[in-house]
Amino acid sequence: MRAPGSVHPSLSRRRFVQGAAAAGLLSPRALLAQSTPWAQRPSGNPQRLTFVVWQYGKIYEQIAKQFEDDWGVKLNQIIEPNVEPQVAKLTTMFAAGDEVDVSLSPVQYLASYIQQGIVQPIDGLPGLDQYVKDFTPFARATAQRDGKTWGLPYFSTAWVFIYNDELLAKAGFKGKPFKSYPELVEQARKAKKDGVAKYPILWIAGAGFEQLPGTWFNLTWNRGGVIFDKQLNLQLGAGSVARETLKWWQSTFKEELADPNSLNLRFIPACKAFNAGQHVYLGTLHHYYISLINDQAQSPIAGKGRVLGLPGDGKTIGYTMLYFLTSATKNREWAWKLLQYLGGRTKNGEYTQAQRLAQDAMLASGYTPVMESELLRRAWAKWADVPTVLDVFRKATNFAEVVPAVYQPWYPRWSDAINVELTACLSGKITADQACDNMITALATAKRA
Amino acid sequence: MREGELSKGRLALLLNLPALAGLLLILAYPIAFAGYLSLHTVSIRQLRSGELPFAGLANFARLSEDPLFWLALRHTLVFVAASVVLEMVIGLAIALVISDERVWLSRLTRVLILIPWAVPPVVNGLLWSFIVNAQFGYLNRALYKLGLLSDYVNWLGHPWLAMATVVAAYVWRTTPFNILLYHAALQGIPAQVYEAAAVDGASPGQSLRLITLPLLRPVVAVTLILRTTFSFMVFDEILAITQGGPGNDTWVAAWYTYRRAFQPPFDIGLGAASAWVLAVMVGLAALVYVRLVYRRVEYA
Repeated sequence: MRAPGSVHPSLSRRRFVQGAAAAGLLSPRALLAQSTPWAQRPSGNPQRLTFVVWQYGKIYEQIAKQFEDDWGVKLNQIIEPNVEPQVAKLTTMFAAGDEVDVSLSPVQYLASYIQQGIVQPIDGLPGLDQYVKDFTPFARATAQRDGKTWGLPYFSTAWVFIYNDELLAKAGFKGKPFKSYPELVEQARKAKKDGVAKYPILWIAGAGFEQLPGTWFNLTWNRGGVIFDKQLNLQLGAGSVARETLKWWQSTFKEELADPNSLNLRFIPACKAFNAGQHVYLGTLHHYYISLINDQAQSPIAGKGRVLGLPGDGKTIGYTMLYFLTSATKNREWAWKLLQYLGGRTKNGEYTQAQRLAQDAMLASGYTPVMESELLRRAWAKWADVPTVLDVFRKATNFAEVVPAVYQPWYPRWSDAINVELTACLSGKITADQACDNMITALATAKRA
Repeated sequence: MREGELSKGRLALLLNLPALAGLLLILAYPIAFAGYLSLHTVSIRQLRSGELPFAGLANFARLSEDPLFWLALRHTLVFVAASVVLEMVIGLAIALVISDERVWLSRLTRVLILIPWAVPPVVNGLLWSFIVNAQFGYLNRALYKLGLLSDYVNWLGHPWLAMATVVAAYVWRTTPFNILLYHAALQGIPAQVYEAAAVDGASPGQSLRLITLPLLRPVVAVTLILRTTFSFMVFDEILAITQGGPGNDTWVAAWYTYRRAFQPPFDIGLGAASAWVLAVMVGLAALVYVRLVYRRVEYA
């Protein structure tokens, strides 16, 4: 029996009908699509291709089916429930010599993956130039380094504050969310004094790579500082913006304006807590979590959540996550085709996956045409004021600008250490000065290890 | 012995060979390979290429210099002490109750007592993470409704509470194992021994101290060894409930090993060294138990 999708299929009646129908659809657009790289079939007929990802709704089942229908090549879908098991699965498969064609990486792990030889650059593959042209500045900053391109975008995100419109009005600030940090404190004090909320602010401060440290990085960046400079020198010394920011942040806990439970909450649990309607402000977190807060099906405060950019000039951070081609692939051309289905264009020339993610989950795209599309605006309007969110993206900077060390292989270790210090500081066990001094010491240990 | 018939010794050896081969393959080989890895520089790249540069004792030296490793060891010892004591005491107490002829227990109750043992560890961890969730967990809700709490408690936000929560989750799952063994051992103690003690005027407390506990000593030794060994290796509950937090207050040795070996920068050599230190500690603990508890039984 001939393999599905083989180059020279026998002319069955079904094939004939399909061919005739296809011929009838040869519009100029379809012709154009066929001449483009994403419509061209790579050579050879691989038995199957493998990708290793973490679960996100049904997107992988859907895109895999489309790939199989379009090209007649079976996909081995290895879908882990979340990031940690996915990392373990990918790395153990790679170490064992198993074949993996495409995978994805959390931002902080990409440097290690490159160093370990798990990722291979995609330069020179057909159509890449057009993708790079479409990359948003975020995506370009993440995907390209050392003169090479390391993958295609999964999604982009930017950090925002979210507030409960109803509680803010009860506190006497209807339609007037804070525009500066002193104003945030003033509003929180008033809300607390008036009994509107026991703890008006819920910070995203649960330990993790981008939760507790991410909030601190973001506040620091918004106040004009960085964590590392471009030469990877830590900027936590006396009088530094980062150190002063930490002092201010700690004060919100000391004054009991911030919920102490913040220290145990990462993104989704924090959203669920915020949905209980006990807090005025939630921050800082990925923009798309507003879709959880304004979701009628799971949020008691649905419709009351509002996105708020960071104060002052609105500087905030964001990043793009990447799909990449592994060096374990035995068929680079076909692996590239699969990579494009996950992180680029499908056969019809559409950014199918990116559009689906924007529509279903409010994820932003690493491609400018998707970000500027009417489709995205219509989809996002269900959850938030779209111009506000897009304005946040215009003011957002790649995470790595603020923390260039994120691309260093030792970064995850330092990240572990700073989580400990930040937790100790915000829970009042140590001062901000001690925490920063300890983080400086921890850097040497992380590099040495 | 007839001609051509195997001697007893040879037959025993032959019958034991499959089990021996299984043990060598499943236990001895991975342990030996981990030992080999601990003496080499190993990361993902090296594992794939098969070229592992010899590092001598460098991984063990790095381990000894890592304050996080020592902290994880301290936490492990606290966890082991707390969990083993609780498992033994609670297990024995429940076994004594269900073994007492005067106490009627339905079959359903007996089954329910054993159910936690059948729960997969990671599922147990997830269950407890829901139960103790500060915002929407059942524990806070129940205690609040009963008037025992004036405000919700962040069980996983405080170092000691987080450790206590993990211990509670672990003990809940593993205690039925002890109950089962103690219950079986208690059934094996002849009733006449207690009757004779009663005739001699022994109180229930004296019977427990002078008859039950000494006769349970072999089982106690076995449970001590097994439970200590498993407690040293606690991982699933940590993964599902605290992930080592808050801060690093529930980092234990197995979690340290996992993080070092399977998270970037994938220092598998260091992880293997840590696993070996853990294995040696477990082995030593088993040796101490065997010498202390078994020997005394022999002379009792």
